[in-house]
Amino acid sequence: MLNYIWAGLIAFSLLFAAIYDTRDLLNDTYRNGANLPLQLEFKGEYDSRARRQTVTVLIDKDQYTSFYESRITEDLQFEGVLVRTEDGVQIRFAKDTQIPKPLGVIREMTSARDNDLRGPVSNFRLSSDSTAAATVAFSTVRFVKMQAIADAALSMAEIAVSLALGLIGVIALFMGLLQIAEKSGLIHSLVRVTQPLLKPLFPDIPKDHPALGMIVLNLSANMLGLGNAATPLGIKAMEELQKLSPEKETATNSMVMLLAMNTASVQVVPPVLLVALMGLQINQLMFAIILVTSISLIVAVISAKLLGKMKRYRDTDPNRNEKLAEGA
Amino acid sequence: MIMESVRTVMDILSVFVLPALLVGFPLYGLYKKVPVYEEFVEGAKGGFKVAVMIIPYLVAILFAIGMFRASGAMEFMTEGIRPLLGLIGVPPEVLPMMIFRPLSGSGSAGLVLDMIQQYGEDSILVKMAATMFGSTETTFYVIAVYFGAVNVKRTRHAVPAGLIADLTALLLSVYIVTWLFG
Repeated sequence: MLNYIWAGLIAFSLLFAAIYDTRDLLNDTYRNGANLPLQLEFKGEYDSRARRQTVTVLIDKDQYTSFYESRITEDLQFEGVLVRTEDGVQIRFAKDTQIPKPLGVIREMTSARDNDLRGPVSNFRLSSDSTAAATVAFSTVRFVKMQAIADAALSMAEIAVSLALGLIGVIALFMGLLQIAEKSGLIHSLVRVTQPLLKPLFPDIPKDHPALGMIVLNLSANMLGLGNAATPLGIKAMEELQKLSPEKETATNSMVMLLAMNTASVQVVPPVLLVALMGLQINQLMFAIILVTSISLIVAVISAKLLGKMKRYRDTDPNRNEKLAEGA
Repeated sequence: MIMESVRTVMDILSVFVLPALLVGFPLYGLYKKVPVYEEFVEGAKGGFKVAVMIIPYLVAILFAIGMFRASGAMEFMTEGIRPLLGLIGVPPEVLPMMIFRPLSGSGSAGLVLDMIQQYGEDSILVKMAATMFGSTETTFYVIAVYFGAVNVKRTRHAVPAGLIADLTALLLSVYIVTWLFG
């Protein structure tokens, strides 16, 4: 299943990107090569020999709307400079400011380093000493989404590594603590207390095995909204379950059950991030969250159990041979 | 009112859980005559190995999700599924949340934030989105981390089971919030 979802995500991102880019090309969304009309206001008098001159750029909302077929409600106004280069006069404006969408994409695609809009000026006409009308043509923009998916893949690969490495400290901390807990018999007592409740869900785990203790700790940390602690505890539980597995590359039924229970995670205390987003509003929602997660936990447990009974998953069960032996 | 005091109690409790573990485990070990420092270091050694082991799994999952998100798939799916949503009573505004919650934790947190700015904190849409966020996990991240840590590649029914639980929670969030606040 993961194979198909994974391949599907990749294939569909290519497909969607291709559709988007084709649509942009057909509609000429970015008006490649066309001249966008601008009004320029100079500070002081216009000087035809100055190499650089600061200027305020005005774009009329109606002109913009008919040019890009993208509605804006107010005239646009940006600070910029008029630069005389060997190839003619160039305008650079709207550096680091908010700009509406087609322009924003053009800025991102054509001048990512300087983060401004720039292009050669034509049809320059002075209307007074310090104001002028002109047009600008930006560099050609196309295949926006195609480049975006490639960029996203590269940057996510980097993020994945920093995420994983960022976990080292917390994982080490909890693994150290759990080692003490195991050696001191704390996990063992926890297992004996919770065994009657959890054993039916994890029939593969032998009696009094520490794996159950780790699972209990993981699930409780999850309930209390302690995401930072829950992850290393879950990893430790997985390691204990892996010790019991005869096939190291395949998930056992218990591993799937633990995962399903984790994704459904009952919450008694809301996760820190949600509190940060919602503030006091969260109090109203706690009842809803507890209700939803309790039901989804039951659904998770039932679906993990039932799916495990399907033929294709029964045939891949790492413990299938022992179960056959037991049955015979 | 009752909810609020329960919540306060749980909040206080949850603040003490972590310190209790951090202090309690070593002290109990000491009481049981375990060489606590030596055992701690012995156990903690595994941290680096686990984190490094997770990397290939996380890269695989995250880059695919990153590409999907960047491709504009969301706008497309929102348009495509919109007519179906009316039939099951789900407002189309929360659809992006439903698609992205299992894929990306930071992405869906961003969506909640966007919705708060767009519709205001009190809107029922924001309540739905926040309940969704609080009631489900970033399933694909959890799968990459938990299975990656023990090098399990064949995940069997973990993905379908996780997604069924997610879908249940996402739909229930809509219905229960509508029932409570609608």
